[in-house]
Order: sequence, then C-alpha cells, then structure tokens
Amino acid sequence: MFIYEKKLEYPVKIANPNPKLASIVISQYGGPDGELGASLRYLSQRFSMPYPELKGLLTDIGTEELGHLEMVGAIVHQLTRDLSEEQIRTDGFAQYFVDHTVGVYPAAASGWPWSAASIQSAGDPIADLTEDLAAEQKARKTYDNILRLSDDPDVNDVIKFLREREIVHFQRFGEALQLLREKLNEKNVYFMNPAMDV
Amino acid sequence: MDEQQNELCCQDGYGCLPACGPLANPYVPFQPENAAIYEAPVALIRGTLFPGLDLPFMGLVNREEKNTPLGELMALGFAMKELGLYLDTHMNDTEAAELFEQYAKLYQEGQAAYSAQYGPLLQSDSVSDGRYHWLNDPWPWEYEGGAE
Repeated sequence: MFIYEKKLEYPVKIANPNPKLASIVISQYGGPDGELGASLRYLSQRFSMPYPELKGLLTDIGTEELGHLEMVGAIVHQLTRDLSEEQIRTDGFAQYFVDHTVGVYPAAASGWPWSAASIQSAGDPIADLTEDLAAEQKARKTYDNILRLSDDPDVNDVIKFLREREIVHFQRFGEALQLLREKLNEKNVYFMNPAMDV
Repeated sequence: MDEQQNELCCQDGYGCLPACGPLANPYVPFQPENAAIYEAPVALIRGTLFPGLDLPFMGLVNREEKNTPLGELMALGFAMKELGLYLDTHMNDTEAAELFEQYAKLYQEGQAAYSAQYGPLLQSDSVSDGRYHWLNDPWPWEYEGGAE
C-alpha cells in the first residue's frame, strides 16, 4: 500500500507566476514522457517481474516517480497562482485555461490528454526494462528542452534535480538488465520468457 | 554479481562491462562498489549521491544548498532513497547497506524532530494533545513566497 508523507522529495518554491511556462512544464505531468506515465509504467510492469531485484527496483523507482508527479504539479500550481486578467489571456495558456482554469490536469503541452498509449507493460522483462531505459532518456530530453525554454531560476532549480534523476534511473535499469541476463541462459537470453517460464 | 564486477576496474564515473558479451543485448556499465559519494546536502541539489553519475546539461548545476529545516530533512531522505536504488542492484554491498542504515536512522530522528516542531509528516503522527493536526496548512505544493 502507499502512505502519504506530507512533504515533497525536493523543495518547489516558485516566486513569480508565469502561465506561459506552466503551459510548457505541464508536459512532464501528463505528456507522453512525463511523470504520470513513468510511475504507472513501472508500478504496472513490476507485477510480471520474475526476480526480487527487479520487483524492488520497479517498486522503488515507480514510487519515486509519484513524488516527481507531485513536484511537477506543484510547479504548475505555483506558476499559475494569483494570475491577472491579462496573464490568463497569455498565448499558450488561454487554451489550457478555458478547459481547466488553474486546475492541474494531466495533459501534454500540446493539449493532448494523458494516454496509456504512451506506456507499455509487455509482460516480458527484457522488453519492459528496455522500454524503461528509453523512457528515462525521453524524460531526460524533455527536461533538457524545458531548461532551454525557461529562464526562471526557481523552476530551473527543480528541473535540474528531476533531470538528473532520469540519468540515475537509467543507470539502475541498465544494471537491472544485466542482473536479469545473468539469471537467464547466457547463450540465448531470448530462449524463453522468465515472466512465464521459470 | 560476479567477482569480476566487484573489482574496481575503472576510475570514478566509469563502470565495468563484460570483456565478451552475448550479441543482441543492450549494456550499461555496472557501477562499481566503493564509488565516491557527495555529502547529503550536496547530493540533494545535484540530484544524485554519486559524483560519477552527476551529468548536467550544458553545465547548469545548482550550487545553493537547501539550508531550511525541511531542506535538511529532505537531504537525509534523499541520500537514503538514492542508496536504496543502488542497493536494489547491489544487494551484496555491505558498506552501502551500512550507510543506508545510518541515513535511515538519521532520517527517522530528523522526521520526528521536524514533526514535533512544524507539524506532522505522517497521518499516524497527526494527533497531539487530543487535537488533529493533519489538516494544518501549508500543504507541500503551496508556497506564497518567503515562508518555509
């Protein structure tokens, strides 16, 4: 089960509202490579994982991603507080505002609502862990792009933290693949599906 | 992990690969044991405990440590969780396990001290003097500027 701890993983303290930037950062809340997809991907894939290291790693990274979802939501919330009439008309934000006001909704920056089609739970540990490696790189890329687009130091402070976490997770998923390989037939790791056949 | 990977084969920031690996497999170098680590407050702002994994974009790095009581608690919790992910793939690294235990203890003590002064972090700690404090503002996502 999950128990809520009433704090963030890392401080989010955004001094200045900026609706345009909020409409970009929202992509890591509900976009194709965002934190909602990350957490659901790992927390779903873990059910078919065959070995304790893999079950543990997917549980722990999936749980951390829920904390990142909360942090990205906090950024969007703080960037859209106390907006003026003029600010809600900001190009790029008005399109979001008309449907969601200043609620935090899981959608990509393009407006596309979060979709399970952007993740996979394949029930095949090699396929799933290889997807996870790609997922971490795609999320890292989105944070790189946010750093290019944003000049808000308070937002960038948090984005740098979240970006670095993707690199650490990539490393751990790579090690998990190697641990899996060591338990499988070294000559042909594709000989069978360890989620089904061991 | 086999013995070969337990050897420190590379400088910090590098890891071990099999000299000869089966085809059609992706490889990420395995992080060796005894890797250098940051102090917890630095680890938090850099986003990793391990200098060898600290790979910033375009040289953009955070330099100001989070010196508030909550920031210091976050640093302890972060070091513990980061070691936890490391141990998930390095379960036989006893030194890392001991370090995890130390940070877990520091975190639990820090969590209790923080809760006593600033309000509960866990719902299970939210009643004191017969009153329910769980609902006290602010919630973690709220920030009005200047406040802790």
